[in-house]
Amino acid sequence: MGAKALTGKEAPRALLVLLVVLVLQLTVVLDIRIGGAHPDLILGLAIAAGLAGGTERGAIVGFLSGLAFDLFLTTPFGLSALVGTGVGVATGQLVAAGVDRTNGLFVPGVAALGSAIGVIMFAVLGAVLGQPDTLTVGLGAAVGVVTVVNGILGFFLVRACNWAFGQERSGSAWQGPLVAGDRH
Amino acid sequence: MLVLVSVTLITFDERSGTHHITSGLKSVAHDVFSPLTSGVNDILRPIGDFFAGSVNYGSLQSENQQLQATIGRLRLQLNQTGALRQQVRELDSLEHLPYLGSLPLVTAQMTQFDLSNFDADITLDKGRSSGVLVGMPVVGAGGLVGQVVEASHGTATVQLITDSRSSVGVSFGPNNQTYATATGQGPGNPLSVQYIPAQTHLHKGEFMYTNGLADGEFPPNIPVGRVHSFRATVGSGAMTVTMTPVADLDQLAYVDVVQWEPKL
Repeated sequence: MGAKALTGKEAPRALLVLLVVLVLQLTVVLDIRIGGAHPDLILGLAIAAGLAGGTERGAIVGFLSGLAFDLFLTTPFGLSALVGTGVGVATGQLVAAGVDRTNGLFVPGVAALGSAIGVIMFAVLGAVLGQPDTLTVGLGAAVGVVTVVNGILGFFLVRACNWAFGQERSGSAWQGPLVAGDRH
Repeated sequence: MLVLVSVTLITFDERSGTHHITSGLKSVAHDVFSPLTSGVNDILRPIGDFFAGSVNYGSLQSENQQLQATIGRLRLQLNQTGALRQQVRELDSLEHLPYLGSLPLVTAQMTQFDLSNFDADITLDKGRSSGVLVGMPVVGAGGLVGQVVEASHGTATVQLITDSRSSVGVSFGPNNQTYATATGQGPGNPLSVQYIPAQTHLHKGEFMYTNGLADGEFPPNIPVGRVHSFRATVGSGAMTVTMTPVADLDQLAYVDVVQWEPKL
């Protein structure tokens, strides 16, 4: 099981990655509009943290990045944190389950699938919490854009998380980065 | 554990008693990040604009000419309607009705829009320090834009009228005597107008204005939108009406915050 919390050495690096991704999300990413939807790097970071760091790190980074993003949204505070935690844990579990990570399409595939699930999860929870239109208006465009962009950028986000977790020499992300718990 | 914390935070945010804690945190975050995002935008936007401008030079030139022509027409209309506006203002003051032209405005620049894929909102570069408070209406591009829902020291978040949580009391028809409620249906979509009796006379393109009711959430007579489509719903006795906002919400650069506080 690749479950290990952030160490004192990793935490500042992880926070730096989070900060950079958050600023990018709030600036250049907002200018990229396709069909009225924009990419969601925050969700991509949660997935990448799960892939690079396992269940617990995925949960922690997913929670913190979602919570930081929530500070700027008018949706219920904690909703992005909940979704980030969910996808971080899910991708961490996938890695811990011993799925073959040597395939070059593993990272983009998981990033794309995790993003689609994350956006739908956000829309469903948003509808439950009083925004029924999240399930109909713009959901298709949001799922499409976030899935494709995170699929493409997943490799870079995993590399950033590998650096944050001190795993930059443990092998290429294309071959599947080792999670902390795998190294004995 | 983290899931539990998230659910607890959502519950806190939804409860009015503890909402001020989360809104306080948001306010601090906006004030801290505002200079940072502004600096990054100042550096990166010109680069993006340069490439976009070089690719679309021809269409930008044509668009500029069209805008110049539109400005000319609007100036003409403005001069022609100046006398009428004066009369309306005098009548409104006689009736003790608030008139938008008599209310103080704070001009603000839009810095971000639609931060989430499911919200219709914009961020302004003016906040409490400039007199922008939660609940104040925002106008621009010829009509109602939305309402301030969060205000930090130096920034404010405006919920657009197209947001699915937005609801505006409107009036229309002869002497603006027919009342209805317009609700948003998400970014880029027309508003839905409810509670219009089936026999109401409507025509496509008809203007709808704020009615000043609902505890005076908005001053009266601000143009909200124009009728886009309407049809009678069989058996319900009401009409299904959609309305497009007068203000082009996709092209906002500067807006005016009306220093008007709802009478709650």
